[in-house]
Amino acid sequence: MTVAAVHGGGIADHIHPEPQSFIRRYIFSIDHKIIGIQYIITGFVFLVLSGMLAELIRVQLMHANGGLVSNDTYNEIYSVHGSAMVWLVIIPLVTGGFGNFVMPLQIGARDVAFPWLNMLSFWMFPVAGLMLFSSFLIGAPVAGWTEYPPMSLQAGPGTSMWCAAIFLIGVSSTLTGINFLVTILKMRAPGMTFTRMPLFVWAQLATAPLSMVATTALAAALAALFIERQFGVPFYDPTKGGSPILWQHMFWFYSHPAVYIMILPAFGIISEVLPTFSRKPIFGYKMIAFSSVAIALAGFMVWAHHMFTSGLAPFLQLPFMILTFVIGVPTGIKIFSWMATLWGGKIHFTSSMLFAIGFLALFTFGGITGILLAAVPFDFHVHGTYFVVAHFHYVLVGGSLMGIFAGTYYWFPKMTGRLMNEFWGRLHFWLFFIGFNGTFLPMHWLGILGMPRRVPVYDPQFQGWNQFESIMSFVMTLGILIFFANLLVSIRNGKKGGANPWNARTLEWQIPSPPHYYNFKNIPAVYALPYDFSEPLPYTGLENELTDSPAPATAGAH
Amino acid sequence: MVEQRDPAVKLDRGFWIVTAVLAVLSICGIIFWYAVPLQHWLPESAQPADQVDALFAFMAATSTALFVFVCGYILYFSIAFRARSTDAPDAIGVQIHDNHKLEFWWALIPALFVILLSVLSVKIWWGIQIAQPNNGMVLEAIGHQWFYTFRYPNVKGEVPDEMHLALGVPVTLHVTSSDVIHSFWVPTMRLKADMVPGLINTIRFTPSAVGTYKIICTEFCGTQHGEMNKQTVVIQSKADFDKWYQATQAAHANMSDALATVSTGAINLAGGDAAAGQQLFSQKCSACHAVGPFSQRIVGPGLKGVLDDPAHPNLVDGDKATPADVAKILQNGFKGDLGVMPNQAQNGLSDKDIANLVAYLASLK
Amino acid sequence: MAVATLPHAQTADHGEVDRLYAETRDLRLNGFLLFLVSDVVLFSSFIFAYLYMRNTGQGWPPPGINRLDVAFAALNSVVLFGSGATMHYALENWKHGNFGRYAGLMVATIVLGAMFLCGQGYEYTTLYFREHVSWAGSGIFGASFFTLTGMHGFHVFVGVWYLTVLLLQSVHGVYTKQKYFGLTAGTLYWHFVDVIWVVLFSIFYLI
Ligand code: HEA
Ligand code: HEA
Ligand code: HEC
Ligand code: CUA
Ligand SMILES: [Cu+2]
Repeated sequence: MTVAAVHGGGIADHIHPEPQSFIRRYIFSIDHKIIGIQYIITGFVFLVLSGMLAELIRVQLMHANGGLVSNDTYNEIYSVHGSAMVWLVIIPLVTGGFGNFVMPLQIGARDVAFPWLNMLSFWMFPVAGLMLFSSFLIGAPVAGWTEYPPMSLQAGPGTSMWCAAIFLIGVSSTLTGINFLVTILKMRAPGMTFTRMPLFVWAQLATAPLSMVATTALAAALAALFIERQFGVPFYDPTKGGSPILWQHMFWFYSHPAVYIMILPAFGIISEVLPTFSRKPIFGYKMIAFSSVAIALAGFMVWAHHMFTSGLAPFLQLPFMILTFVIGVPTGIKIFSWMATLWGGKIHFTSSMLFAIGFLALFTFGGITGILLAAVPFDFHVHGTYFVVAHFHYVLVGGSLMGIFAGTYYWFPKMTGRLMNEFWGRLHFWLFFIGFNGTFLPMHWLGILGMPRRVPVYDPQFQGWNQFESIMSFVMTLGILIFFANLLVSIRNGKKGGANPWNARTLEWQIPSPPHYYNFKNIPAVYALPYDFSEPLPYTGLENELTDSPAPATAGAH
Repeated sequence: MVEQRDPAVKLDRGFWIVTAVLAVLSICGIIFWYAVPLQHWLPESAQPADQVDALFAFMAATSTALFVFVCGYILYFSIAFRARSTDAPDAIGVQIHDNHKLEFWWALIPALFVILLSVLSVKIWWGIQIAQPNNGMVLEAIGHQWFYTFRYPNVKGEVPDEMHLALGVPVTLHVTSSDVIHSFWVPTMRLKADMVPGLINTIRFTPSAVGTYKIICTEFCGTQHGEMNKQTVVIQSKADFDKWYQATQAAHANMSDALATVSTGAINLAGGDAAAGQQLFSQKCSACHAVGPFSQRIVGPGLKGVLDDPAHPNLVDGDKATPADVAKILQNGFKGDLGVMPNQAQNGLSDKDIANLVAYLASLK
Repeated sequence: MAVATLPHAQTADHGEVDRLYAETRDLRLNGFLLFLVSDVVLFSSFIFAYLYMRNTGQGWPPPGINRLDVAFAALNSVVLFGSGATMHYALENWKHGNFGRYAGLMVATIVLGAMFLCGQGYEYTTLYFREHVSWAGSGIFGASFFTLTGMHGFHVFVGVWYLTVLLLQSVHGVYTKQKYFGLTAGTLYWHFVDVIWVVLFSIFYLI
């Protein structure tokens, strides 16, 4: 074996030849990079679909008495919009997409621990997506992405389809969690101790157990809902002794941690983008790394803040309220550390960096409204109103989605070897940023003043602001349209970027773009954190990566 | 590459000027939220609303200050530390990794703030949940698809359309639902409780301003959830309220307590099968009734020994506790102080089922 | 800047097996344990649901339903725990090269597992035909009892098949005295099923 490298045999050098058939290479691939890109493409397709549903919502709400679609259709639209955005867009993109593509490269692994399982997880995702969207044919779910019974027990057959689809994507998410956890714990390159891992890897490490544990709890809740709907076995129906509140507990025990599944990897992306484009080490590495873990742990203890008005015993409201406040502290530490990373930097305003900076502002805003919601007395007022809608679009769109955009501009050159166009990237940013605030900022006061959510028609006094929001949402859509155009054009025609166009220092940038089949010719050794711009790169064993010496993938089988 | 380790970490004049500007902006923000409180846009109509508004003012003011600082610094750093065209292409920033003193403070200050906010929120929570007077009227609001009804003491049946309240008279409001989850929200009272079938939630408040205020459903409840915002709370002076109350009492006086009758005629109770009744009971009745003493209430009362209970000799409808009268309640349903007992059709019972159930109930001693 | 000394992944002692096998086994073992963890969460969620409903209901068992037959279930539990013991010794014997006794103990494990399933089947039929307790028709009692024990029974059922396959594999020489990851996984799974039963038995029959 020509690759019997410095570090001896074992998994790291156990190499199969690259498959040559198109199907094994690009469709049923077991290569984490291809799978990552598959996730990203599929996720973006669902972003377009559920974004179109969002625009249907906005068109309907241009008039106080609706008029575009019937009430029931409207309910189907936002239910699928919310479910798809959460389960088919954000979660798959930040874990399956960026996690798959970037994480093994960053830890110096040749692949994830269970490549075949990885492929299986991926393929559950489009199937689940098709199931969810095809439920429109048989009457999609209407009771929102939260599907509270008894409403969801009475609704049409699409709700059972929804259960099955979400169950499937949940299994996929659980398997990915297991896969990533083992990969990060067991397959780091020699010398990459926990405190030398890039922060994106830390974010994935904090997220993986959430996907694993919380999602399984959701699976139980969904299975029970499905069984009750199909076989009449009572769990949630109060007239048969079940409890609708039980569903709420089980659902939010998953879905609150799920919001951290959606945001922690985005935090990770931001922690990579900011130092690279400030040309500075990340400020407070350890605090950022550990606060992710703290958030993940605390995230399991606050779920009932979604249920303050639903009949939770009054004295239980207090611990949930206070624990929810407490989550603001580790999150604040992150925000302040990122702020300090900017200080004294040499900041390059690439599109990626613009999105990262925009993220800081918008996520902070959304986080703060979250703290407001956590205060029980104020939540009594605004629960179930557009204030909540505003809060979560700030953290989800202004947070997770902006993080995804930042990550796309950042890693696109690694995936394709070409750069995305910067002019259109910046235009995308500004249209999106302005359109976003225009769409979602007014929702705060609409909610406070009395506009409930999930309504196809509303009090005419709110019509003016709603029209403004709808128009601004078209601006945001234009921005995203530009993004997709830029993406498609750049795949073929983008400027060549070379291995490391951003002068970034994490491991994935030290190998060619796109990386070859088994990532590293030799597994490198790591002897320090990656973020010190004044130091030489902290890796050894990478000398041959960018030269033409033969790639190990050709080195043969076992 | 220029060696830039351990630079003197100095904050220059620009930083302090920006800090001063941000401080002024924050103070303006704080003044704004106290000068123009929430009730300026949305009037208050019940007593704990002022407390919610006070909490909101505090949170909005502090949040504004926090947000101004975070965004202000981000903006300032972005501008002040941008790479310039005069910089060497490989120029790097100052290579600092952390600053433990700084990190300590920015963990401590939010932590202290969280404590402060918790204390304030708990205090106001106490004022809303615990310290409200409970010597006032006890009312009920029931959510239906897609309207509310209300129950008043000594008013037979349910009051549709408007909920009348007397200015200054404390109210304990129990809410529940007859079908799916609804929610009872009066924005001007800043109070909300979900109406969950099989569960009773309670809010307490004291009406504080005469007027007509919207009740809005904020929990998705089906096709016309969006239209479930037409009914109102009418707060009247005590005198006006009493007038309305008496008129309503009179108007409802000869309303029957029975829900619409489905089967006519008395049920033949002979040959009821207690074992079959027991089976039925666990399916249809045990959600609302315990097999325990009358006082062991779930939704309806405990049913152990209904027919022979010295502590509770009469049935809820006031009649003697005879098998025939129990059957009548099962047949017609009953709406009383405790809530709604569904009728035969709603419970899906045949006449035979009723006979079996009565036999079973009679066997409970 | 000093070059830090690298911790050497390859200094670990892998005993008599080759490194590649040791590393793969290590990964698979971790993966398998995490799979069991998520399975624990699945059971825990249903257990939470059961305890929640039980406590919001009106006493347990609900009116009209008799207490479960503890004696029979206890007997059945003994069968299951016995199979846990035989499984444990099967693996030990494999490790020490006593393949004959290994096979005997595996057969015993499989038979005991199947007996447990039969016992459960008997319990279900008596409940259904004699006490008229069913999955969908007996309120939250039927729902939680049959769902949880059914899920457990399904795990036992899968386990019986899994162990049978492992036994056939080992007879055909898939495993060696050094390389027997499949057998370790099978043992872990079987113990996991036992532990879950301890919990289910306590919450349904004892409290
Ligand atoms: C990550 C999650 C995510 C994301 C990204 C979004 C994105 C958007 N959301 Fe969504 N939303 C949710 C998660 C998300 N939402 C959830 C969970 C709910 C709750 C559902 C419930 O109540 O159960 C909700 C509910 C919700 C509502 C409330 C509905 C109601 O309560 O009645 C509204 C109303 O305006 C809304 C609007 C929007 C808009 C305008 C966008 C925009 O940002 C979308 C912009 C994107 C695109 C438009 C796609 C890209 C565009 C193109 C490729 C061009 C082609 C498109 C066209 C020609 C139209 N959303
Ligand atoms: C990415 C997703 C995401 C994230 C990260 C968050 C983060 C937070 N969320 Fe949010 N939330 C959602 C997605 C998310 N949420 C969704 C989808 C819903 C609605 C679901 C539905 O009903 O359909 C929801 C609903 C929701 C509710 C229920 C509202 C209701 O229905 O009545 C509450 C209540 O407590 C809440 C609170 C919080 C808090 C406290 C945080 C915290 O984690 C935020 C922490 C961040 C900060 C605080 C900002 C930065 C910190 C500083 C600058 C330091 C100083 C500040 C302090 C110490 C206060 N959220
Ligand atoms: C939705 C809840 C609900 C269900 C289901 C229900 N009940 Fe009731 N029941 C009530 C309530 C509430 C009352 C008390 C009415 C009142 O006084 O306001 C009541 C009263 C009664 C009474 C009179 C008790 C007394 O002491 O006077 C009897 C008898 C009774 N129910 C039997 C049954 C039987 C038998 C069934 C099953 C077929 C059943 N109920 C199902 C809610 C319910
Ligand atoms: Cu009633 Cu919504
Ligand atoms: Cu939450």
